[in-house]
This record gives sequence, C-alpha cells and structure tokens, in this order.
Amino acid sequence: MAAIIEMDGVSFSYDADARRALSDVSLRVEEGDFLGIIGPSGAGKSTLAACLSGAIPHHFTGELYGATRVAGHDTCEITLTDISRTVGSVAQDIDAQMVASVVEDELLFGLENFGVPHDQIEGRIARTLETAGISELRHREIATLSGGQKQKVAIAAILALEPRVLVLDEPTAALDPVSSQVVFDTLADINRRLGITVIVIEQKVALLSSHCNRIVVMDRGGIALEGSPHEVFRRAELLRELGVDSPRTARISNSLAAAGLCAADDPCLNVEEAHDLIAQIIRRADATGPGAAGADAAPAAADACAAGQTSATPHAATPSPHAPRRPHAEGAAPVLTFEHVGFTYPGGGASVEDLSLEVYPGELVGVVGQNGAGKTTLTKLLNGLLRPSRGRVRVAGLDTGENPVSAIAAHVSTLFQNPDRQICKNTVIEEVAFGLELQGVDSREAQRRAETVIDRFGLPRDEAPFSLSRGQRQMVALAGVVVMNPDVVVLDEPTSGLDYRECMTVMETVRDMADKGCAVIMVCHDMEVVSDFAERIVVMADGRILGRGPASELFADSELMARASVTPPQVIDLAGRLARDVSPTFAHISEVSDIVRRVKELADHA
Amino acid sequence: MLNVIDYVPGDTLLHRLNPVAKLALAASIIAATFLSDGYPALVGLLAITLLLAAYAGVLGRLARLLKLLVPVALIMLLLQLAFVRSGTPVVAFATDEGLITGGKACLRLLGVALPLVLMLMVTKLTDLANACVEKLHVPYKYAFTFTTALRFVPVFSQEMNAIMEAQTARGVEYDTKNPIKKLQLMLPLCVPLLISSVSKTDASALAAEQRGFYLRTRASSYKRYPVRGIDIAAFAACIALIVAGILL
Repeated sequence: MAAIIEMDGVSFSYDADARRALSDVSLRVEEGDFLGIIGPSGAGKSTLAACLSGAIPHHFTGELYGATRVAGHDTCEITLTDISRTVGSVAQDIDAQMVASVVEDELLFGLENFGVPHDQIEGRIARTLETAGISELRHREIATLSGGQKQKVAIAAILALEPRVLVLDEPTAALDPVSSQVVFDTLADINRRLGITVIVIEQKVALLSSHCNRIVVMDRGGIALEGSPHEVFRRAELLRELGVDSPRTARISNSLAAAGLCAADDPCLNVEEAHDLIAQIIRRADATGPGAAGADAAPAAADACAAGQTSATPHAATPSPHAPRRPHAEGAAPVLTFEHVGFTYPGGGASVEDLSLEVYPGELVGVVGQNGAGKTTLTKLLNGLLRPSRGRVRVAGLDTGENPVSAIAAHVSTLFQNPDRQICKNTVIEEVAFGLELQGVDSREAQRRAETVIDRFGLPRDEAPFSLSRGQRQMVALAGVVVMNPDVVVLDEPTSGLDYRECMTVMETVRDMADKGCAVIMVCHDMEVVSDFAERIVVMADGRILGRGPASELFADSELMARASVTPPQVIDLAGRLARDVSPTFAHISEVSDIVRRVKELADHA
Repeated sequence: MLNVIDYVPGDTLLHRLNPVAKLALAASIIAATFLSDGYPALVGLLAITLLLAAYAGVLGRLARLLKLLVPVALIMLLLQLAFVRSGTPVVAFATDEGLITGGKACLRLLGVALPLVLMLMVTKLTDLANACVEKLHVPYKYAFTFTTALRFVPVFSQEMNAIMEAQTARGVEYDTKNPIKKLQLMLPLCVPLLISSVSKTDASALAAEQRGFYLRTRASSYKRYPVRGIDIAAFAACIALIVAGILL
C-alpha cells in the first residue's frame, strides 16, 4: 500500500518561545488505514490533526520544522484549499462548522465551492446521505437534530466532497454510548466500502480498539507507541504510566497473562474475545486436572490485579476496592427527595414525568440514559434552575418551588460539563472564593478557605483560569465546588473532555466528598466510570425513570439496559455472559480484579 | 430552542417568491413607512405586513417579537410626549401635537422592524445569500459574513443562557427583581462569552476554508433563482407601495 500522508521530523510550536506542541514526529499513514490517535490532554493530538489537515501551516501560525506530505505534496507548498481536496476534516466544534439551516444545503456548500458539475450533485448528495445513514434527514432543520444526528450530518458534509482522507477530532465527545457506537460504525463502513482513510482522535478506548487497525499513542508532543490495537494494549504498563486508559477486557487478559494463565501477547479488545479466552482457560484447566495452572503464580497475579485497577487503593486482598463503605443511609433522613415530579418545557418539547427519588447523605448515585432521556432536566430540577410543574422537590430541607436558586446554591453545588461557563474571575483564587463570597462569607475567610483547597489540588494561585488547559480549568471549577462544602453535589458529565488521569482525579475527589457525607448525583455517559464509582444508579428513558437500584444489579439486567439504550459496562456484560455459559459463580461481578480472581479459583479447583 | 428569526418552512406564495423579490418587498414597505405621513397609510402598511405574516403562517412568531417591540414603542411615545411642547395640552404634560407625532413614531418603529423579520422567517439564509450573489452581484464574502452573523445570534444566545444558568447555580442572584442589579451582575459574563465567540469564529473560518470557500464564484450555486411572473408582480407591488407612500 502507498502512503497517503507522510510526516517527516515535524516539530511545531504555536509561539516562538512556547513549549513545542509537537516535537520531531514522523508518521506514515497508509491509504485505507483506520488510524486512532489517543493520549493524555496536552500531548499534541489536536496539533497533529491540524498538521495532517493542513490547518498548520496555513491557518495557525507558529514555528514549524520538518515536512508533511499529503498525497506526495508538501503542505507548505500547496494551498489549504488544495490540501482539503485530499484531506477532509470534521471540526471538533460542529456548530462552528455548520453553514446552513437545512441538512441538504449543508452538503451543497462544499460541493458547490469545489465546482462539482451540477448534474452530478444530486447523485452525490443522495449517495452520501445513504452512506451516512441519514437519508430521511435530508430536508430537516439542523437545529432540530439530536447530537448524534448532527455529528453524522457534519461527517456527511465532508464525505460528499469524496476526500481520500477523513480527519476527525473527538467526534463523539458529546454523544451517549449508543450514538458514539453508531458514529464509529459509520466511519468503519466508509473506511471499508469506500476505501477512505480515516484518522480519528478519540478518548474512548473501547471504540478505538474495536474499530481501528492502527493506533498511535501520543505523549508530550511525540509518538510514544504505535501499532495494531493488540500491540498497543499489550503494553498495559506503559499506557498506565502515560495516563492512557485501556479497555477493561484488555486489563483482564493482561492480568490473566501476568498470572500465567494465558499468553501475554494477545490482549482481549472486546467482550467476545475475553469471554472466549476465559472459557478456554477454564476448559483447559478442567481437562488437565487440579492445580495444573497458575497456582504458583498467584501472588504475582494479585499484584497485577491491584496495579491494573483504576484506583490507587492498594487493597488487593479486599473483595472490591471501589465497594462503598460509607456511613450508609440506615435511619438517616434523605437529603434529597423527588415526589412524583413532572416538568414540561414551555412551548412543548421534551418533558419529564413522575420522577420519584430519594438520595441519602454519603451516597453516590449515577443517572444513566440516552441523550434526550431527561437527565439534564433532572439535574436542573435538583438545583432549582427549573421548578417542577407537578410534584415536589426537596433538597436539604428546602422546597425548590419556594426558594430562590441563590438560597439553594448554599446547599447544592453543580459541576457543569463545560467549566468555561462557570469561570468568570481573573485569577484562580478569586474564582474559587467567589462562590463563598456569594453566600455572604467574609472575603478574607473565603480567600483562606479557597487557598486550602487550591493547595490541595496543586493549582496555580494567581494565574488567569482561561490560560490553563481544559483539564485544569475543570479542576478549578471542581475546586469551586469543593470549597463550598455542600450537602449535595450535582455532576453533569464531569469527565467529558478530560483524559483518563484527569478523569480519575476528578472522580476520586468526588468520592472523598461522598465519604465525608455529601450526597453526589452524577450524570455520566461513561458507564465504566459510573460502575466504578456509583453504588446506585437511576436508569432514565423518555423522561421517565425506568429503574433504580444497586449499580451492578441494574447493569446486569440486559432487558432494562436495552429498553434504555444503555450499553452496560464491559466487565458486567462479560460477567453476565460467563455466568450463563461457563460458571454461575461469575454472576454479579463488576470489577476487573474479581473476574481475575474467580478465573484463578476456578482454574485452581478444576 | 426556537428563535424569532429562524426559518419557518412552508409552501405559500411568499415562501416561493425569489429571495431578492422578498427583500425588495420588505425594503419597499420600510421605504413607504418612512415616506408616508398619515395615520391611515402607516396603519395600512403595518396591516399589510401582519396580513402577509398571517398568510405565510408565521403570525404567532411575529407576535412574540411584537411583545418585545411594543414596550419599546411605548417608551418612545412617552419621550415624544415629554419633548414635544408645541400644540395644546391634553392630559398632564402631553400635548395634542405630541400625541400625533409620538403615535407616528411608534407606528414607524414597528413598521420598520417587522417586514425585515418577516422576510427572514420565510427565507432560508442560504437562499438569501445565494440569490443576492446571483441577482444583485453582491460579493459572496459579504453575503456569507451577513448570513454567518445571523446564524451565530441563536448560537451565542444559547451560550449566554448556559453561562447564566451556571452562574445562577453558583448563587449569583440573576433571579433578582431589580433590573439594574441584574445588569451589573451580567457584565462580568461578557468575558467568557467573548472568549468562546472568538474561538468559535476562528473555528468557523477554518472550516469554511477547508470546504473550498475561496473557490466559490457567482456560478457556484446549485440552486438557481430565476425571476418569474410572481416576482415581477411583487416588484410591481413594490413600486406601488412606494408611490402610495409618497402620496399618502
């Protein structure tokens, strides 16, 4: 195969004296590749994408060394317009990319500009819409589409130009798991059937590993690791050091390999592979007799399990490092109650109906469901931004229907998905102290308390929040929540846009708050995070609550998950299948380490 | 969220008119509003606008805009009443001349604002830009700038709403009844809004360039906007309106 894009020793810095965003990157992208780019924030992923799409050097200025060749042409020597005939790029902010109000016109824009003969245009539009699976949306208003549909329109608008390469920067950041899956399936289909090279920056490892044929791991401006998904996710040790997540199934197989139960060079990338591997291990153990495998490797395996865990808790011996051990609900009064709450937006549209819910101090409750299921409405009813049209919401003894939001804010703190909407002060310290000052805390006292929290988070005290990275801005916003010492914390997609390490820092901070008796309600699309941290979940669909209960139990209820269009976490899915086909003792396991331990026990006892 | 200037799909004659003819129609209603100097003409022109809106099925939306405009018009009336001192006093400080000129100023304000908004409601922005480029020979750059600016209005107002919600949830008293205090609280929010709008505009420019913006010429548009019989009729109506405006 021929290389469609070649990068040769490329370095780039946005400013003459700034740190290099890319340093000495050499990369060959073959025609027909499905290449995934992953890495912690600030590793240079978006800069790399900008180089590939020609935005560097043509749109962003800075110091550039080395050469990037697209289809044989040096990007410095041809115009951006000419580069985009070969490389189509889908922007991270698709609202900024859209130029039209109707789907059809959005596709027309590029076709018209590039001078596609008018007699071919109709055919191209129809074909592209079909490829993207959105033929029925052709005459719809873009403003009325869901996030997933919009993303597909954005992809179709570029696809219509028939580029040879498609570059996408975090296309699923705002999407729920089902829509993300659909977007990746569409990309895989384009890649396979039309032979278009796809390059995608993505944080969701499970998607990358099951769709890409090659993965590039970036770190501090360079390429740290490159290879097929199997080659990359085999390096569990290195990935963890870099702060890159790996699929839970790969953690299981890597732990099993460390225990000597399977070969080390072939990590499982999805639930099927893991299921087959474990079934095979247990069958083999049954055949060879007792104690044949793994007995002497047991201590090493226990270490590996602990290391493979998401949390830093060194309790390999305890049954589950994340299991709640909080001063739990018994006898305590709920800090939050929803009684048959209903809400309809003026002018129709989405509404919620008959929401009933009780949350106790110290609980961490996850709210899951598709985009548009009413999760955000629920959070807004909770912090008083919306007042229920029917029923009653009581939080920390206050009825949200009767108290102003500013009074409720003394007890409820919300961490929004986008920290930039929360931040409005010139320095970090002022920003963190602002919430306290609003509640009438004396300014000196507020500064003192803010300082304690800032120190704990290791944030720069006097810097302007907007000069910090996305992840750090989220930490500033989180510090603003922690300093309030609220009774209830509401998290709306706390982990979106964060890399794995930042995500864990945020979640561990939140868990500490729960341990101190604060009730946490978290809306989150990342089911792995929900299953790691939430002890209870609320499943929503179409504005109603479908189910409430212990996380592991509800996630294992495949009928409920299907009704809510929620993809259960990999480990729970795997445990369910193993319980059915291999051994009933796998039922209700929700942790990587427990699966590994159970496999070892079964292999030993065989 | 629906916005006042959003396109309302439909299949009425007004929808099917050439965008340039619609623009001319709106412009001539406005011109006539300025030229005419009598209550019957001003009320008549306003009635024409409202009738057209009712015909195109957007009267409800237009009424929402009226709710915002009428208070502004009333403030203008009060100012006129206070400043016009000639004529005979009627009630308190108001004179009859003040009432007459003030009333006209109110009607003019509504008569100027509504036709343009009505035109935007029944025309897709892309059609408007393409037709202006084809028929009026407006450079595409300007047409695109104009439509992008309009397109960003709802985007930014959503962003502003989201920022206000985030700040309210922190305890900033946007739910206060005092409008001056509310304004004071809102000013610091310009910073986050400005930052997000600059980055959005930049991303938008890059995306447009990557989709061949600089290659676009007058002949690029796939859709053609021929001038047909009804458009000629519309132009005739425009002339009639302006003449009527001068005479009445």
